[in-house]
Amino acid sequence: MMTISILGTGWITSKGYGTINLGEEHLFAPEETLYTVAKNGIFNRRPVKNFGRLDRLSRITLAAVSLALKDAGIDSSPDSKKDIGIVGTNDQGSQETDTAYFRDFVDNGRKLARANLFIYTLPSSPMGEAAIHFGLAGPLLYMAGAGRSLATVMVTAAEMIAGAESTLMLAGMTCGDEGIYTLLGESKAGGKCTLDNVLKSAGVDADVEKFVTTIRSLKRGQQA
Amino acid sequence: MAGRGVPLSELTPVIVQADMLTPFGAGADLCFESILAKQSAVATVKRFNTAEFTSRIAATIRDLQYHGETSLVMQMLERLFALSGPGIPADAALLLATTKGEIDLLEKSLLGKGGDSAESRLDRLLAKVADLTGARGPSAVVSAACTSSSAAVGRAAAMIRSGKTECVLVAACDSVTEFIYSGFSSLMALDAVPARPFDAARKGLSLGEAAAFSLLMSEERANREGRNILCEIAGWGMGDDANHMTGPSRASEGLISAIQGALSSAAVAPGDIDFISAHGTGTSYNDEMEMRAFRALFSATTPPVYSVKGAVGHTMGAAGLLETIIAMKSLKASTVPPTVNLQCPDNGARGWVSSEPALLKRAKRALVVNSGFSGVNTALVLNLPLVKP
Repeated sequence: MMTISILGTGWITSKGYGTINLGEEHLFAPEETLYTVAKNGIFNRRPVKNFGRLDRLSRITLAAVSLALKDAGIDSSPDSKKDIGIVGTNDQGSQETDTAYFRDFVDNGRKLARANLFIYTLPSSPMGEAAIHFGLAGPLLYMAGAGRSLATVMVTAAEMIAGAESTLMLAGMTCGDEGIYTLLGESKAGGKCTLDNVLKSAGVDADVEKFVTTIRSLKRGQQA
Repeated sequence: MAGRGVPLSELTPVIVQADMLTPFGAGADLCFESILAKQSAVATVKRFNTAEFTSRIAATIRDLQYHGETSLVMQMLERLFALSGPGIPADAALLLATTKGEIDLLEKSLLGKGGDSAESRLDRLLAKVADLTGARGPSAVVSAACTSSSAAVGRAAAMIRSGKTECVLVAACDSVTEFIYSGFSSLMALDAVPARPFDAARKGLSLGEAAAFSLLMSEERANREGRNILCEIAGWGMGDDANHMTGPSRASEGLISAIQGALSSAAVAPGDIDFISAHGTGTSYNDEMEMRAFRALFSATTPPVYSVKGAVGHTMGAAGLLETIIAMKSLKASTVPPTVNLQCPDNGARGWVSSEPALLKRAKRALVVNSGFSGVNTALVLNLPLVKP
C-alpha cells in the first residue's frame, strides 16, 4: 500500500504567510499586503506577470502554491514543465468573479464584455494560473462538496498519485482571504506527516489555521 | 508524463446507463441519429438580445424558460431524469460536472428580476441534483473548464477501479445564457455561421447546451445486478499545457500527455484505437492543436477523427460526457459520425476527418478527447464490452 505524505506546505492568511518544512512565518507589517510582498519575496524573486490584474482567489492560490513548492524544494520556474497536478477548492466557487464580470457587463449597457474578467469566471481558473506560472503539467481540477472540501481535494490528489495519474499533486483551498496548498507525493520513508495522519488529526472541516497547526505539530513529532 | 500507467486491478469500471437532453431533443439515440443525418441544431438565439455580439447563433433546447422560476440547467436535468426513470441506486456517489451551472440565477438577480445571486453557487446545484436523482453517496462538483465532464468520468472510473466505491453517477450540464455568450463573444471565439470544425474556413465555435448523465459501476456489480453493460471506461488521462489561459499550446504537449496517460492506463497502443472523438471546437487554434497531437501519436494508423460540435454546438462542461455517449453509440454501431458542416478540410486534418459517416468493419475501441481554458486536456479510452459466450 502506497503511503502519501505531505512534502511541502504553503499558507497565507490576512495576518501573514509561511511554510512548514522551512519554518518560515512572515507576519504582515501594517503597510504590507499580498500585493506588496508579491513583488519582493513570496514568489522566490520571480514576480508573477500581471499579478495586480488577477482576481483575488488566483492571487491567494499563486501565493500558497509558490510557498508549498518552495517548502518542498521544487524549482518553481514555468520553463521547466513538471509532472505535478493541482486540485483546488474554495467555499464559493467563482461567485465573486461572476458578479464582477456580469455587473461590469450590465454597467456597460450589456454591450461591452471584458474578456479579462470573463476568463476568471471559471472555478478552475486560479489553478490554471498556478499551472501556467509554475509549469504544472499534470491533472488540473476544481472540486467542491457540500461543505468545506480541503479533505476531499487532498484525498482526490492522493488517489491520483496512487493511480499513477501524476507523480506529485498540489491540493489546497482558498477561503476568504486565506489559502493553503500542500504538495503530496509518495513517501517511501514513512514518517508522521502522512496524509492519513493529517486528516485524522485535523478533521475534514478544518480551516487553514487548523491544518497548519496540525501539519506543524506532526512535523515536530517526526523530528523529535 | 509519458509512460505512466495505472496499475490494473480486478475492478473494471463500466457504463450501465446513460442518456442526454440536447438541442435535438430528448434522448441519446435522437442526437446520434441527427448527427449521422448531418443535421445541425445551431440556429438564431431568441433567448436574449445578441445584437451587440460577434455572432447571433447557438444550439439551444426548445421550451426552456429563461429567468423563470428555476434555472435552465435544472429544467434540463428534470427533463433528463424524468426520461431515464428510476434506476439510480441510492448508494451511488455523485459527481456533478459543469462550468457555470445555474449562472442564469445570478444574471436574474443582478438584472433586478428577483432571486439571490448566491443561489448560483455550484454547491447549491449539487444538493439539488442529489435530491433530483436520489444519489445519496458522497458527492462533489468537478469543474475543469470544457473538460469538466470527461474529467468527471475519469474520476468516477478511478474511484471504481481503486475499489473506493462501486457505483458513481456522473451528471453534466451547462446552458447558453447572456453571461456565457457575452464572454465568448468578448474573446472573439464565436463564428457568425454554424461552427465548422477542422474546416479550412473555420472561424470559431458555436455555443450549445445540454444535460447528460452516465451511471458507472464495477463490472462485477453490473453483472450481479443483471445490468446491460454499454461500454468499459478502460483508461483515462489528464494533462495541462501550462501555457496560456485561453490559447492552446503550440506544441500540443498537454493533450499528448493526456492521450498517452489514457492509452497507458488502458494498457493499449495507439494502433488499437479505431476512431477518435475530437474536441473540435471550430476555433483555428484548438483544431490545429488537436491535429498536431493526433499526427504525433497516430500517424502510423490514421484512425478517423470527428467532432460533433457543428451539430450540437460546444456544450461546455457537458461536452465531454455528451461526446463519450455518442462515441459509445458509434462503437456499438461501428460507425464513425460525420463532422457536420465540414466542407473543405484544413490541410492538417485532410485524410483524418470526413463530412460523411463511415462504416467500420468492427470497432472495438474509441478515444474521446477534450480541452479547455487553463490549458486542461483530458482523454478517455472506451472499450466495447466483449460479448460473453
